Amino acid sequence: MRTVRALAPYLVAIVVAAGPFLTDDRFLLKVLTFVGLNALVIVGLALLFGFAGQVSLGHAAFVGLGAYASAVCSVRFGWPWIVGFIAAGSLAALGGLILALPSLRLKGHYLAMATLGFGELASLAFVEAEPVTGGVDGFSGIPFPSIGGFEFREPAALYWLVWAIVGIAVLLATNLTALRPGRAMRALHGSELGALASGVDTTGIKVRVFVLSATLAGLAGALYASVVGFVSPSVFTVGSSVTFLAMAVIGGTGSLAGPLVAATALTLVQYLDALIPGISRDTARIVQSFQEDVYGMSIVLVVLLAPRGVSGLLKRLGSVGRP
Amino acid sequence: MQCGTMVAELLQFIIAGLKSGAVYALVALGFTIVFGATGAINFAQGEFYMLGGMTGVLLTTWGVPLPLAVVGAVMLTAVIGAAFELVAVRPIASGDPLRIIMVTIGGSVVLRQAALHLFGPDERALRPFTAGPSLRLLGAAVERQTLWVWAITAMAVVVLAVVYRQTMFGKAMRATSIRRDAARLVGIDASAMVTASFGLAAALGALGGLVVAPLTQTAFYVGSGMGVKGFAAAILGGLGNPVAAVGGGLILGLLESLTAGYLDPLYKDAVALVVLLGVLFLRPQGLLGGRGTEKV
Amino acid sequence: MERLSVSLVFVLLVAMLFGCAGGTKDAADEGPKPVKIGAVLSLTGTYAGLGEAEKRALELEVDRINASGGIAGAPIELIIEDDGTDEAKAVAAAAKLIEQDGVVALIGASGTGQTMAMRGDVKRAGVPQISLAGGTVVTGEFDPLVFQTPWSNRIVVPFVLEAINRAGHTKVALLSDSGGYGKDGRAVIMENVASAGIELVADETFNPGDTDLTAQLTRIKASGAQAVLLWTAGKEAAVAVKSARELGLDQPFFGGSGQARVEFIEGAGEAAEGFIFGTGKSLVPANWGEGSVQFETVSDFATRFETAYGEQPDIFAGHAFDALTILADALDRVGPDASPQELRDAIEATNGVVGFGGTFTFSKTDHNGLTTDDLALYTVESGKWVPVK
Repeated sequence: MRTVRALAPYLVAIVVAAGPFLTDDRFLLKVLTFVGLNALVIVGLALLFGFAGQVSLGHAAFVGLGAYASAVCSVRFGWPWIVGFIAAGSLAALGGLILALPSLRLKGHYLAMATLGFGELASLAFVEAEPVTGGVDGFSGIPFPSIGGFEFREPAALYWLVWAIVGIAVLLATNLTALRPGRAMRALHGSELGALASGVDTTGIKVRVFVLSATLAGLAGALYASVVGFVSPSVFTVGSSVTFLAMAVIGGTGSLAGPLVAATALTLVQYLDALIPGISRDTARIVQSFQEDVYGMSIVLVVLLAPRGVSGLLKRLGSVGRP
Repeated sequence: MQCGTMVAELLQFIIAGLKSGAVYALVALGFTIVFGATGAINFAQGEFYMLGGMTGVLLTTWGVPLPLAVVGAVMLTAVIGAAFELVAVRPIASGDPLRIIMVTIGGSVVLRQAALHLFGPDERALRPFTAGPSLRLLGAAVERQTLWVWAITAMAVVVLAVVYRQTMFGKAMRATSIRRDAARLVGIDASAMVTASFGLAAALGALGGLVVAPLTQTAFYVGSGMGVKGFAAAILGGLGNPVAAVGGGLILGLLESLTAGYLDPLYKDAVALVVLLGVLFLRPQGLLGGRGTEKV
Repeated sequence: MERLSVSLVFVLLVAMLFGCAGGTKDAADEGPKPVKIGAVLSLTGTYAGLGEAEKRALELEVDRINASGGIAGAPIELIIEDDGTDEAKAVAAAAKLIEQDGVVALIGASGTGQTMAMRGDVKRAGVPQISLAGGTVVTGEFDPLVFQTPWSNRIVVPFVLEAINRAGHTKVALLSDSGGYGKDGRAVIMENVASAGIELVADETFNPGDTDLTAQLTRIKASGAQAVLLWTAGKEAAVAVKSARELGLDQPFFGGSGQARVEFIEGAGEAAEGFIFGTGKSLVPANWGEGSVQFETVSDFATRFETAYGEQPDIFAGHAFDALTILADALDRVGPDASPQELRDAIEATNGVVGFGGTFTFSKTDHNGLTTDDLALYTVESGKWVPVK
């Protein structure tokens, strides 16, 4: 039993990595690539919400920042994809820093409103900065990612690229939470006063976590732009930020696994009718019409009844089988 | 341009600003009252504004006379607000502001979606409270409904002030917002006060949504935008201070209107957001508020 | 322990997916091979109202075509995917229809953004796409594979400008929204005012969701404009005409397809009276003249739609009807086994096909195919729109 437990993460990694060998369904690979993009954002948000106890209602703006940055770099400047990718992450990080530095003096509820204001402001900017973003008509003709001479144009290649980056992010985040900063973050979530008293630099940690999560969102945006090939402001709204937050909250606090499972499930629900062939169209439609209701309701229920979310559920599930 | 027309133009912008500002003030008051009672921000506040307008429209389409529909919609929304508190906020025994925020974020989505399913996706109109052409004031026009906006806002503020200062209930509310545990010690039912604060905040929001619906129409999606503006107004004045919230609302309305009038209308929405971020970052206690806002 | 259970859930999820997807491909066909057509519609999300009407029109027409023998004996198989008014989902839906279902043509999307987002996949697969979205960019940013059926601003704007000029107004104030429809219209208006003999004395914009347009209207009032051109499809249109009257701005108002909405007239009430807007003739089929091919086509579609669904088709249903009519006409010419490339060429050769929007004639440079002959002017009288005589 113990060995299985130790091996589990590797098992997941192998299954995820083997995806394109298990199916040649290009549509499914595309959907799973989108799952990966959301997962990348959620790794950052899970750190922010689940470990540092902060709420962001503006992460879609960072995704947008990254998407436009990489689109501009590759289309307007003709720079190699990887440069645009790094630029996207850096720009989002900078945005995160600018937002986090003043917010650090404020408590959780102020950061939530500040990020909401930032998200709304960014939505306006994406529409209005037409020479850069293409305005409401969007930005089209964004090339596929390419590194060196290799272009990731096949669905399988895109799938591997995205999930490889998710894998790196997860590794990074796992190490972070296992080390001293992680324990400090958890202390933060428990009681900020307590954490302060025991000599934890709470504001410094909050800022760093926020910047990290913004960076991951920016990178996800860069990947989104080159996977889809088209970017428009309607994707990066506060509504999307709430969806991301719902994934993180439902996923639960104190672990990465819960939020990742939640992100996977909540993304797949959107493609329900296409993924489960037997399901009647009406059923799928009802599910999809009520999707946002479900998000909202889940947030309320999780906060009220199971504050640890899917993570807590998984833990309890695990301990049933414990000898 | 002639001096007379310039004055008329400025006056017109000021009237428009004070009209929007009065509505922001009502929504901002709602934020302030809930913040006072719980120390948390109610992210669903904008949805009460939306629910007020939508239920008002619904009641009039059922043939309810307008004055009754307005009163009914305010009361209905107040009940929804109080029920929302009982179901979703009260169970958070610790009163942890982070969890209250999360619940109100989730709740706002639920309320908005419920309105979408119940009332449909299209915008709806409410007829003006009194029909007739607009009035003239030194060359500027004042719509009759605008007078209603001001009258109702002023009335709400006066009633609120009297209730807060003169009645036992108001004193209990104030005591709770100052020190919850101490209030409990002197026999005040603090949790009932929190429920009442949500009901009151919902009623104020609904009033704003109702009185402005004849001018702008209303739709299921108008809540979140108004929520941000109302919060910007509340924070501009200084969260937790009702008088400052009203001042913040009027200032924000004027700023927006003058920006649209003399700069570029496209920056109008950005004004509230810049104000929100600017005040949060530079002066979290608000421009008008002196009391500290950090509640530990 | 947590890791184990997570892995299990994850493995199960993934296995379920791969398993399911494997099962989708074994549908055995009987009879002649159907012609597979895909549609990407917004059945949920912001444009749900559009997508639902479009879906009904498409299903109605496919049933009619199949009942009368299909395309040279082969039935049309219509596969509809919902994009949820979301661009990523539109891309996934296009990929599914092209790669999993092997469709020869795509109809959709309902919205401009979703249509543009699909372009990458459409290009790669070389499949023709007939969009139901009205944005000028859809065929303005030209792609040989992409067609569109709604009356685009490119024809409505010159038509309305001409009407303004004919009414004797040369100094005009423009009031448009900064969202998709208004911005798109404003760009086309800017290109066309000079040639229409009109001088823009004010160019005001507002944001979608604005509840107060006093500033813009005050400036318009001061500009000395003889008429106001309002270009928006949002609820702010009602606010605009109402406050204009309140502010004593009594100049005539003109607009485009965005005002062909019941909600506008309801919201603006008396202030909407006398508003003049240009849009397709089919808004009032009698415009075509009774007995004409157009009149018969539009009323026949409206009758069948009403019989099937119990309500009149709106313009969105009409645009979907046109997409399928054009597609069926092209298929009739090249046969059910045509490749996507042959089908595209046949669509581009569409000449004089009568639909709801008007008479479609595509060319190598025009993939919208309608002209100002397909438009009419309307005015609001007693709370209803009536054709201007």
